[in-house]
Amino acid sequence: MCASTAMPGTALGGIRRIRTSRSAAIGQLARQRPAEPVAWTEAEAIRRAQAGDAAAFEHLYQLHGRRVYALCLRMVSNPADAEDLMQEAFLQLFRKIATFRGESAFSTWLHRMTVNVVLMRLRKKSLPTDSLEETLDPDSENSGPKRDVGAPDLRLSGAVDRVNLDRSIEQLPPGYRTVFVLHDVQGYEHNEIAGIMGCSVGNSKSQLHKARTRLRELLQEDVRDQARDERKASKSQSDTQD
Amino acid sequence: MRCKEFASVLEQQGLSPLPDAARDHLAACSECQDFLADISFIVTAAKQLPAELDPPQRIWVSLRAQLEAEGLVREPAILRPETAGSWLRNLRALFTPRSLATAGVGIALTIAAFLQLHKPAVVQNSAATVAQKQARPEIPAQVRPQQAAANVPLPIRQPAKSPGRLDPTASATLTSPPSEDVYFARTAALNQAENDVPNSSLATNPALDESLRKNLRTVNEFIAECEAHLKKHPQDMLAREYLNSAYQQKAELLAAMLDSGRSEQ
Repeated sequence: MCASTAMPGTALGGIRRIRTSRSAAIGQLARQRPAEPVAWTEAEAIRRAQAGDAAAFEHLYQLHGRRVYALCLRMVSNPADAEDLMQEAFLQLFRKIATFRGESAFSTWLHRMTVNVVLMRLRKKSLPTDSLEETLDPDSENSGPKRDVGAPDLRLSGAVDRVNLDRSIEQLPPGYRTVFVLHDVQGYEHNEIAGIMGCSVGNSKSQLHKARTRLRELLQEDVRDQARDERKASKSQSDTQD
Repeated sequence: MRCKEFASVLEQQGLSPLPDAARDHLAACSECQDFLADISFIVTAAKQLPAELDPPQRIWVSLRAQLEAEGLVREPAILRPETAGSWLRNLRALFTPRSLATAGVGIALTIAAFLQLHKPAVVQNSAATVAQKQARPEIPAQVRPQQAAANVPLPIRQPAKSPGRLDPTASATLTSPPSEDVYFARTAALNQAENDVPNSSLATNPALDESLRKNLRTVNEFIAECEAHLKKHPQDMLAREYLNSAYQQKAELLAAMLDSGRSEQ
């Protein structure tokens, strides 16, 4: 009797392990689908994707998709267009993945494709696209601070919020916008941006400075417009009271 | 230094510490001070914008469909019994040499398990045997396919010291890799053992009786889930490890239930 009661007890202990491990196992299995397989490095996933492994494709998508989508969305500001662009970028990537030899970082290669896809789309839409060499105005060398004599205090700090900034980024020419988003939003270094954009490091720095300068102007216009609207509103209020 | 030169320094060096000449100019020029302050503010604000955003799930779904349509992805073979003509392919697969070999192992296993279960069992040391198995590591966190390929015992009843009542062949070790046929063979052997569990009460304690049966149902559910998963993803070695471990656990449980039933007879 002792043995028969002891055995079920130990067997029950085994079953308890099953129940605990079952939840963990099923949870892990669920989490693994459609997530990437355990312990794949990017290089391994690339190799498998080159062999046509569907799970490897998904692994790479999960690895890089969020940054690509963020870039697309900031470039076109329209979620539907951003989705199309992202899908197109990854489709191109997977079509050409067999040609990837590892000379550059995979993410650089992917972002280069993404930027090309985006800029091609913007050119097709006949938006005013700027090449990397285009400048803001004829006096392109004078990209320093502009003098606004008699203008109200246009310091941005405290007057600009994220909405203003997002709206102003949308108004940047695509070339400036790309460099600004890659550098100041996504944190890429100039040498990486040069690889993505197919330009020199000096060019990347120049475009970034111009992007920031232009953003400042756009934001100052926003601040001016807001100040003017507030003055109008307060004036009409005082007129009404009178 | 003039404003134009200051701007050029800013362009080349960004917001990193400025050289002395630029700092001297900055100290004297309010326009450049405002400019630098605004640019710094813009950069700080931009850094706070999310660098990554979650794309809608439909993008991957659509992308995956497109990849399959273009033939860029190759899925491993998946059993689809409902597919027309698959029964014929399965039938043909049964007659491959490897399938025949594993089927033979499975039949031998079933026979051995049946013989083992229908012999009077010895209770001595079985608790120690089960406890030994309890001491084994739980479901492995990492995939170790080589373990599955090693001698993996499928103990129906394995008392360490038995007065010769048990057939040594009932150790029922599997030396072949845990292919699907092997798993099915194991399932058949375990199902046979399960059928021998008496439908009547296993113990005088109804609570214990219910607990044993409930645990068996839990194990069976887990096995069913793992098998369903492996049908879709036959290359998932982790799932195979879980399933292998579950079979062992079920075998232990059945042994305990059978012993309980006999002890009450």
